[in-house]
Amino acid sequence: MKNISLHLENVGVTFEGKCNSQEGLKGWLANKVSGRAGSPATYKVDALKKINLEISHGERVGLIGLNGAGKSTLLKVMAGIYPPTSGACTSLGHVCPMFEFATGFEMSQSGWDNIRIRGLLLGMTPDEIEAKLPEIAEFTELGEFLDYPVRTYSSGMFIRLAFAVSTSINPEILLIDEVMGAGDIKFAEKAKRRMFEFMDQGKILVFSSHNFDLLKSFCERTIWLEKGEVVEDGPTATVVASYVDSQ
Amino acid sequence: MMLKDKLFTDSLRSLKVWRVWLFLGVQDIKARFRRSFIGPLWILINMAFFIGGAGVVYGLMFGQPMNDFLPFLTAGFVIWGFIVSSLTESGLTFANAEGYIKQFSYPKQIYLIRSLVVYTILLLVGLFALIPLQFLFHAFSVVGWIFAIPGVLILLLAAQGHIVVCAYLGTRFRDLPHALGGVLQVLFFVTPIMFPVSILKDRGLDFVYQYNPLYYLIDVVRHPILTGEFASQDSYVCAGLYVFVVWVVAVIVAKKLDSRLVFLL
Repeated sequence: MKNISLHLENVGVTFEGKCNSQEGLKGWLANKVSGRAGSPATYKVDALKKINLEISHGERVGLIGLNGAGKSTLLKVMAGIYPPTSGACTSLGHVCPMFEFATGFEMSQSGWDNIRIRGLLLGMTPDEIEAKLPEIAEFTELGEFLDYPVRTYSSGMFIRLAFAVSTSINPEILLIDEVMGAGDIKFAEKAKRRMFEFMDQGKILVFSSHNFDLLKSFCERTIWLEKGEVVEDGPTATVVASYVDSQ
Repeated sequence: MMLKDKLFTDSLRSLKVWRVWLFLGVQDIKARFRRSFIGPLWILINMAFFIGGAGVVYGLMFGQPMNDFLPFLTAGFVIWGFIVSSLTESGLTFANAEGYIKQFSYPKQIYLIRSLVVYTILLLVGLFALIPLQFLFHAFSVVGWIFAIPGVLILLLAAQGHIVVCAYLGTRFRDLPHALGGVLQVLFFVTPIMFPVSILKDRGLDFVYQYNPLYYLIDVVRHPILTGEFASQDSYVCAGLYVFVVWVVAVIVAKKLDSRLVFLL
């Protein structure tokens, strides 16, 4: 059996850029010509600083921290979406990210085609997708709307579609960024159940949330991030307790 | 060192998942024509108008025999459209895929190949539209089409290079497609598309095409299709050299911007 793991060594991510962004050729030329390199105010944010983590097969890890603490950035590094600006992140196993449900649609295409595209991008083969298509369609409860271009969808419908596709795959490393509040009441309840089943399948789960009950029921281990650094890493009950105390 | 490896392995991984980029490309084509009644036929209709209008006028103006000139113009025009796409539209490759790039962990190079798929399908539709025209003028040659295959491969390689350069640079400098569009408009009028090379030669203006690499890219595809013979050796050599240069630039640009790209979106 494959040993699935995530390994982060000295990972740092720094965002850099110009504040009053003149990103175009003009801004670049103006800087070159006038020789005042970087004359507009620049920003530099250390979103993550020297993170060392080892997550091994079977672990379920929660991430807590205030907004802007680096939870999403950390998940994106684990998913291979953000390259670390320093250090290295190695993952063994198929990574399945569940980050945003509101972007990444082909607006003029039907719901069916968008299911196919998302499925492919999540690593399914076309045959797998075709086999799962009825099941996915049923879960979305979108009915005939699936024949319409998704540009006619409401935001809740986008979430249903994306959620149904994402949870239909068989994940190895599952990365989830605070997506529990999906859809209307009826769907939210159903989504929750499906999510729990789904999270149970993941060989590794990393999950950011502000819901302590959820963290306690899913994760044995929790990591508390603040300003891009690990404050505490240990059993969920202990870490959550000290996080709550600090606030 | 690390970076170079990542770029290389990512690119290789991208090539391997051909189902993904092929599917995305085909979907793009479908999307492009989804809301139109006659779909891809529009390509052919637009071409017919162009040939019927510009073709006849320019043919008469340059005193060209129509049965040579019309297929010549059509082929050149279609190939030119493909080159222009690879240099301008491609600037939006990553911007258009932003939602995917920030959400799925496939290497972003798949979106570069997806662009090539889209432009190539449009190129082939346009080229095949030439066949009825050739039949009409009794100038169809199967051998010519087969001889065009190496040229088409060179053209595709060049276009993929263009896409790499423009997609990365276009993400950094969002006005690049506009700038290139202007340059290409000028180039269109000095490249032998609307007029045959012989006109330049007769007037001692050979340099106009000789120093234009895009002319060779067009020639290696157009010449065999029209004449049933390989293009001149010079054309293949120059086109090949150009592809090499484009790819050197592409590798340099990609290496410089690849790790930063997702932050630029």
